[in-house]
Amino acid sequence: MKSKGAQERKRTFLLITIPVVVLFFCFNTLPLIRGFLYSFTNFKGYGSYEWVGLRNYTDLFGDARVGKSYLFTFKYALVGTILTNVISLILALGLNSKIRAKSALRGVYFIPNVLGGLVIGYIFSFIFTYVIPAVGQKLGIGALSSSILASAGTAWIGIVIVGCWQAIAMNTIIYISGLQTVPEDVYEAGSLDGVTGWKKFKYLTFPLIIPFFSTNMVLSMKNFLMVFDQIMALTKGGPSQSTESISYLIYQNGMSGGQFGFQSANAFVFFVMIVAISVFQMTVTNKKEEQL
Amino acid sequence: MRTHRKAAGLLAMSAAAMAVLLSGCGTEKSADNKTVVEIVQYKPEAVKAFEALEEKFNATHDDIELKIDSPNDAMTILKTRFIREDYPDIIGIGGDINYSNFLDSDMLMDISDYEGLSDIKESYLRNAEELEFIPMDGVYTVPYMANAAGVLYNRDIFEEHGWTIPETLDEFYALCEEIQKAGIQPLYFGYKDTWTCLAPWNAICVDVADSDICSQVNAGSATFAEAYRPVAEITKSLLQYAQEDPVAYSYNDACTAFARGESAMYVIGSYAVPQIRSVNPDLNIDSFVFPGSNNADENLLNSGNDLQWSVMAGKEDKKEAIYTVLDFLFEDENIQTYLDDQSAVPCKKGDFELPSMLDGMKEYIENDRMADYQDHHYPSEMSVDAMIQTYLLDDSENALDTFLERFDTEWARYNRDLIAKVRKYYEEHPDSNSEGGENA
Repeated sequence: MKSKGAQERKRTFLLITIPVVVLFFCFNTLPLIRGFLYSFTNFKGYGSYEWVGLRNYTDLFGDARVGKSYLFTFKYALVGTILTNVISLILALGLNSKIRAKSALRGVYFIPNVLGGLVIGYIFSFIFTYVIPAVGQKLGIGALSSSILASAGTAWIGIVIVGCWQAIAMNTIIYISGLQTVPEDVYEAGSLDGVTGWKKFKYLTFPLIIPFFSTNMVLSMKNFLMVFDQIMALTKGGPSQSTESISYLIYQNGMSGGQFGFQSANAFVFFVMIVAISVFQMTVTNKKEEQL
Repeated sequence: MRTHRKAAGLLAMSAAAMAVLLSGCGTEKSADNKTVVEIVQYKPEAVKAFEALEEKFNATHDDIELKIDSPNDAMTILKTRFIREDYPDIIGIGGDINYSNFLDSDMLMDISDYEGLSDIKESYLRNAEELEFIPMDGVYTVPYMANAAGVLYNRDIFEEHGWTIPETLDEFYALCEEIQKAGIQPLYFGYKDTWTCLAPWNAICVDVADSDICSQVNAGSATFAEAYRPVAEITKSLLQYAQEDPVAYSYNDACTAFARGESAMYVIGSYAVPQIRSVNPDLNIDSFVFPGSNNADENLLNSGNDLQWSVMAGKEDKKEAIYTVLDFLFEDENIQTYLDDQSAVPCKKGDFELPSMLDGMKEYIENDRMADYQDHHYPSEMSVDAMIQTYLLDDSENALDTFLERFDTEWARYNRDLIAKVRKYYEEHPDSNSEGGENA
């Protein structure tokens, strides 16, 4: 009787899973495999094409533009991830303490996440191009008197600012929920031992929220590596092709340009890299995790 | 047993749903048994004109239903549809590299039996022919509208100061100096949108470089390093007359600035006029041909096929209906509808009322002194526009050489398959002209 019930349960779970697996396979795995196959062709995205073997992959490693886009994307992702996590952790600590209008403030800090990337991008584009230079000129600050998006050396900073501004919202929420899992008695025990301030954070709070830290690191690293909206709205890859991210290049040349095959190869390499980075991050942070 | 059947049912249902999703729409006839002709055209700014034409057509034809789509970013939409093998009947695209690629992929139908072709001006048919990578038999497109690029100027500012249209490059520089002395910004650029870097580039190319230079390079008989040196020099020299930091401003910003009279001239195409007028409807705009050469006779108007109709391959069964639609679009009255809405040059012969902002170019249009945009031959993934932007921002001493060298190497890399194909073709057909399309 009991075993029959268990079987019934198993079957129900199977019934729930199978359609999802089928859908996932059709809309995720199948396109991935097709893309992988296209990466061995000179397919333009339409019409006839030929098999070119590994040429796309060998080209990929010799292509200066692709190389530059990888450098830019990783630089951006690294700086973005660090900044986002530091700032959102500080914000979360503040918003988790006993302050007035806490819920209202949390709501306000979450708004950037609700707005679309393109909308934010266009607003910031206006600010960078017109507002900040005008203020800079009034105050006579040389560094601010021209648009930072117009110079190849500083444009990426503009994208980092916008990217972080938006990413911090989600990360803060995750950190707040993490901080709420830390039981009060741990702090009480700590205070008996005289732990306060930085030490309290370093030895009590942080080890206990490491699972949330690792989630945030993986999520924001992945999101920053896939940066696209902000570039579309802020710089379109310019100036001097200095802000072409990998996703932007794949879209631009694979879809609008006629490099579907070549960019499929690029996308596949990028996919493998993201998986590798995520796995690496998970294993490193998992080792540091503390259990109560 | 029962649950098994349920599982099978669920699977079948999801499979059926998938089939519906994947099959797309393949219906050729509408509900009331009319033949449906679907056009996708790539100029979203002309959506109003085409909506009016669509309505007019459907009101006067009982057996054909015309659908005109004018999406934003139509080229991406078209390519995505092509991947799914979902083809519209007629595509309205520009005479650029995309057309060459579609043609090269055997996606277009030979329409040399379409009678309307005889009414089209020669130079535009030639533009289309020059876009063929390797010479093709037959005709694959009917040019509809052309645009003209050069220098737009603020007629009121010019009249106020008594400035005249320059005919040579030196006169143009002198004019810029004079405008600067009068305390007015001569030029305004929106180089943040990289494609606008190509506007002066193209306008200068037609004056100082061979119009079939790309074919020459593909055939191995010329290099860009030589042909584009003067073009690159002149393009950069314009920066001294432009606002500071031109890459900080977008196309919209530049159009707005020109519309508000912040600059006397704007090196761009006639296609920018609707945008400019949307900011300032009363602006008195005229245009002139960019004088890239110091020999006034060498200067040509930069005019290319802005919108041309091609029929997709495999639509033979609907040919009659498709030609009826094309006939309708080419009726003088309907062309005028488009002209009144957009600032364009009709490709059809005949007496049309040209927009007043083309006054300064009229002589060139009437005497057929025109040449196509060079960037119509550039592969879009090579991003020549971004390369030009990079070059314009490069302050180092050897910027010009770096840029030209890069142009040649990247060209060879991005066109590898094409160059191989072209050279193979000429090896097999040694008697054909190895310079590509012939120019008048």
